[in-house]
Amino acid sequence: MPVAESTSALREALPDFTTPAYKDAYSRINAIVIEGEQEAHDNYISLGTLIPDQAEELARLARMELKHMKGFQACARNLDVVADMPFAKDFFSPLHGNFQVALAEGKVVTCLLIQALLIEAFAIAAYHIYIPVADPFARKITEGVVQDEYTHLNYGQEWLKANLETSRNELEIANRQNLPLVRQMLDQVAGDAAVLKMEKEGLIEDFLIAYQEALAEIGFTSREIARMAAAALVG
Amino acid sequence: MFGLIGHSSNFEEARQKARNLGYDDYAEGDLDMWCSAPPQLLERLSLTSPSGTTIEGAYIDSCFVPEMLSRFKTATRKVLNAMELAQKQGLAITALGGFTSIIFENFDLAKVQQIRSTTLDWERFTTGNTHTAWVICRQLEVNAPLLGIDLARAKVAVVGATGDIGSAVCRWLQNKTGVGELLLVARHQQRLLDLQTALGSGRILALEEALPEADVVVWVASLPQSLEIDWRTLKTPCLMIDGGYPKNLDSKVNAQGIHVLKGGIVEFFTDIDWQMLEVADMENPKRQMFACFAEAILLEFEGWHTNFSWGRNRITTQTMEQIGAASGRHGFKPLGLDPAGILSLAGVVL
Repeated sequence: MPVAESTSALREALPDFTTPAYKDAYSRINAIVIEGEQEAHDNYISLGTLIPDQAEELARLARMELKHMKGFQACARNLDVVADMPFAKDFFSPLHGNFQVALAEGKVVTCLLIQALLIEAFAIAAYHIYIPVADPFARKITEGVVQDEYTHLNYGQEWLKANLETSRNELEIANRQNLPLVRQMLDQVAGDAAVLKMEKEGLIEDFLIAYQEALAEIGFTSREIARMAAAALVG
Repeated sequence: MFGLIGHSSNFEEARQKARNLGYDDYAEGDLDMWCSAPPQLLERLSLTSPSGTTIEGAYIDSCFVPEMLSRFKTATRKVLNAMELAQKQGLAITALGGFTSIIFENFDLAKVQQIRSTTLDWERFTTGNTHTAWVICRQLEVNAPLLGIDLARAKVAVVGATGDIGSAVCRWLQNKTGVGELLLVARHQQRLLDLQTALGSGRILALEEALPEADVVVWVASLPQSLEIDWRTLKTPCLMIDGGYPKNLDSKVNAQGIHVLKGGIVEFFTDIDWQMLEVADMENPKRQMFACFAEAILLEFEGWHTNFSWGRNRITTQTMEQIGAASGRHGFKPLGLDPAGILSLAGVVL
């Protein structure tokens, strides 16, 4: 059988965190993470206006995101890197735009899909892939963050599960509109992620695992989920 | 609840399967897309044994295809992600089918127990190799005499003798069947010497030396595409049991008196209502399946929720007997030679 690589290859060698190439790529990846956490904070606060009876819980989730953001800002300082925030704002703008439109129209289902499912699943995948190749400082911070992100994904999942029958159509439409954007974001960041030794293939697969799990928990069937998720694979 | 982790035999088959199951985007996707595709729980099924016990299970496709073997990270990710899905679905015992267990073993994936937030519990998985080894041995014991081969005098070549299944087959043939002589063929010389010492018998030979001498050949190694067998040098009759993966020996040997039997395949006593193996290369997909899959089913029937087959070269004749008895109890039978083939041989002899 043509499989001769050493098992030691399973344990990825760490990148050199001090090279200009690493720092350059990190300035964008780190900015994406910081911007993502900031937007997540803002989005949960906004969601509180659409679901007033849960505004307090959503504010609690939002506070966690701000704490994460500060942690990742410290990661940049630790590596002596300046996060490229204009790049990150641009990176998130299509998804940010769709969230704002849905918010203005009072579409809570679309807002939850974008923030609590797509962005959280994206974050969970990225953090899991990053942790084994992170510098020791960032690794510790990220390990703490990733567990919180599951809480956030779970929030959206439970709300949508409880409201599936009235949400189903809007969820499918929102999925069609927004999942291709996530795929584009993954493609856009693939080069920089590779410098950090994070593989695009694994990022996509891990993202889909988290996203599909959430859809299954909400109540979609395997075939529905595969159909919905395919938009992220086709690219 | 039991689980089966499987995959398609090749990429084209995978796309066809996806099309048949209504996964159109997958059917149209290229190999790169499949490399990023997460495992899918494709089917839930139930089986009732002859005694009336009913069990439930699930089939998971890892979305791995053999074309990914050269992509080391992809292949390992597919296996581990499928195992994680099985565990998260609460499957008590899951068989690693096809290349899944080979990849797990060859890359020593037991060292990678943490998959994201899940710690894999090895007790929930089995390679199914004990049942596969037992089925191959029974296929040999039942079918060789039908071809007029006297096992007490027969030379039996085991190709892949030092592997998990191969070494178990050797021990059984030595201690239980009592064949004339074992011809041991494998790539690793030291492992061959160790096996010979442990068995206290057996002759170590190169493949091209062993084949012309053998009355029975048990293949439990994957055959390289480039392998060519000169059938004119083989004995007749000769029983070849194709226990490797993938099962492609019949494409390499096609001559009168040479009988190729798909090894490590069992047949259930009644039809099973499942779609998945209909697209696999089985003659009777409603009843036939890989013995490794059947092992998970047997463990569930028996309530033996443990990694019955795990690690390398730990299979004993006792565990083979134990799983073999369960196999019979729950309605499984090792696949036999096509009766038409045996009759044509009889015609030649007469």
